[in-house]
Amino acid sequence: MATSEVKTVKRIDGYVLKDKLHKFVFGYLFYSLVIGLGFAIIYPLIKLLPVVFNNLEDLGNPDVIWVPIKYSTVSFQAAIRLVFGNFVPMLQSLGYSVIIAIIQIFVCAIAGYSLGRVEFWGRNLLTFLVILSFVVPPQSLLISQYLSFKHFDIFGIISAMHGSTIDLINQPYTLYLIAFFGFGVKQSMFIFVFRQFFKGLPKELEEAAFIDGCGFYKTYFRVALPNAVPAIMTVAILAFVWNYGDTYYTGYFHPDGPYLSNKLMTTFSEANVQNILYAIKTWYAVPGATTFSFDAVKQAAAIIYLLPLLLIYFLVQKRIVENFEQSGIVG
Amino acid sequence: MEGTAVKTKKLRVSHQNMRKIHGLIFMLPWLIGFILFFIKPLVNTIKYSFHEVGVADNGGMTLKYVGLQNFTNLFRAEVSSQSQTFARVFTDENIDIFMNTPVIVIFSLFCAILVNVKFKGRGLARVIFFLPIVLGLKVVVDLIMITSGGDVADAAVSSQFDTSGLINFLLNYTFLPLNVTLFISDLASNIFMLISQTGVQTLIFLAGLQSINRSLYEVARIEGANSYEVFWKITLPLLSNISLFALIYTFVDMFLQSSISTEIYYFAFNKNNIGVGSALSVVYLFNVLIDLVLLLFIMSKVVKLNHGDK
Repeated sequence: MATSEVKTVKRIDGYVLKDKLHKFVFGYLFYSLVIGLGFAIIYPLIKLLPVVFNNLEDLGNPDVIWVPIKYSTVSFQAAIRLVFGNFVPMLQSLGYSVIIAIIQIFVCAIAGYSLGRVEFWGRNLLTFLVILSFVVPPQSLLISQYLSFKHFDIFGIISAMHGSTIDLINQPYTLYLIAFFGFGVKQSMFIFVFRQFFKGLPKELEEAAFIDGCGFYKTYFRVALPNAVPAIMTVAILAFVWNYGDTYYTGYFHPDGPYLSNKLMTTFSEANVQNILYAIKTWYAVPGATTFSFDAVKQAAAIIYLLPLLLIYFLVQKRIVENFEQSGIVG
Repeated sequence: MEGTAVKTKKLRVSHQNMRKIHGLIFMLPWLIGFILFFIKPLVNTIKYSFHEVGVADNGGMTLKYVGLQNFTNLFRAEVSSQSQTFARVFTDENIDIFMNTPVIVIFSLFCAILVNVKFKGRGLARVIFFLPIVLGLKVVVDLIMITSGGDVADAAVSSQFDTSGLINFLLNYTFLPLNVTLFISDLASNIFMLISQTGVQTLIFLAGLQSINRSLYEVARIEGANSYEVFWKITLPLLSNISLFALIYTFVDMFLQSSISTEIYYFAFNKNNIGVGSALSVVYLFNVLIDLVLLLFIMSKVVKLNHGDK
């Protein structure tokens, strides 16, 4: 009797032990994978920190890699002086991204609603065209878009009214115009997101609104749009981030604008290395500045540029996933 | 009685037609944009590609038909950055994109599966795994990467790992052929570039994973399937629509960032040869479309897509 009892206890122990070992090994593997991948993602950011806080003369010194001997904020000062100035350009580009994002949401939401909900003539064809315009890269149309903006005309109407064609290149409203007519940064994808979302929305809501006497527009603004918050949030975040980082539309259609992304690209282009080094040497009395100092200043600028994005990202990141999940891109 | 019935019927039809008209009004901005910013430039680009474009005396443009000459010039021309012929850059880019797209998609699927599991610190892991949405912007990537080479490049942020150790390890301890080894080490050295592209795709996949019905997993468990079988029999088939979307998204994104697109501007405005630039645009456009069709064809062979009422 006693021996058999011992045996069962032992067997259970073995089972528990195996289970524990199993869990431990898998947990260990899992955590090492997650931590490793996470590390690989933020490694560039980690590597930036010692560089941008380093004394400019110590950069390139093989003795100083992770912990600077002397801390200095010269790279930040130089970056601010070179690009950011009194931070008005940053506010301007943030404002620009917000306005463009709002325009994009408005246009894409109505187009998506129409595609997802209204059975008008040629709807499937239009859906196909939206997908086609998502797939075709805008760069391939750059030349003739540029030329047609240079001599802008809508079927001869403007030249009849105005006397001549108008030059839309380098006008601030060109970008708003492009966004309003649905061809801003990845706007076809946003239309598709809204279409998918509105397709999944229960029909009963609109029917109820119709019975209560709402017209088409009232139904849309009072019923459909307030229920589309997840899709709107998703599109808003992506549109804001992509417009803030956009160099294509801002660079080609409004090159003199105050957009930070564009300014950073031109300031820190390779042709400008010597000028910037000269500026750093004279401003901050660092005669030993090398191309490493240029990189340090460039990366400090990148960090300042990223700050508002990271701030917004950390504020909304909890909601990104749930919104994206509900936003219907899944279906 | 009869009259009112007819009247209501008439009203109903007109209501539905009104709805269609309203729907078209909602599509109107996009339709105008489509004609102005898509069809018109597309037609013009194709037109320019067969013409020599010059500046007329009155400031307008003159077009001279030259047939296919622009295209033949294009493939002989040298590109801006390196002294390589265009044909070489073109094939390199295509091979790169076809290699990298599946890697990015599979990698982001992997990331999504990892952050979908419940574990301690998942919130933090999600924050980090979605960082590439912000960090992957082209401006940011360009700014973070170092420009100065040299033998002390390790002192600054480098996009490259030291891969010789990895190559040696793979050659000595595995029986993989040399080509595969070089491919793997290439991937490893480009890991930061690849990761920086994964943000949105991870998000798409995570959303897809969370939309899978929990009870399916329960049923599979009760039937005695292990995690491996659950992944291949449930997770992957239900994600096929999403993976198609993620694949197309990645593909388009990769083409947007390929160096071909910057060449267009270089040819047209720096070299003042709009004809060749347009020819390049046309080649680029057809390249994207043909590759995409090829991709869809391969996908339809590999996975069965759920053609529901999606």
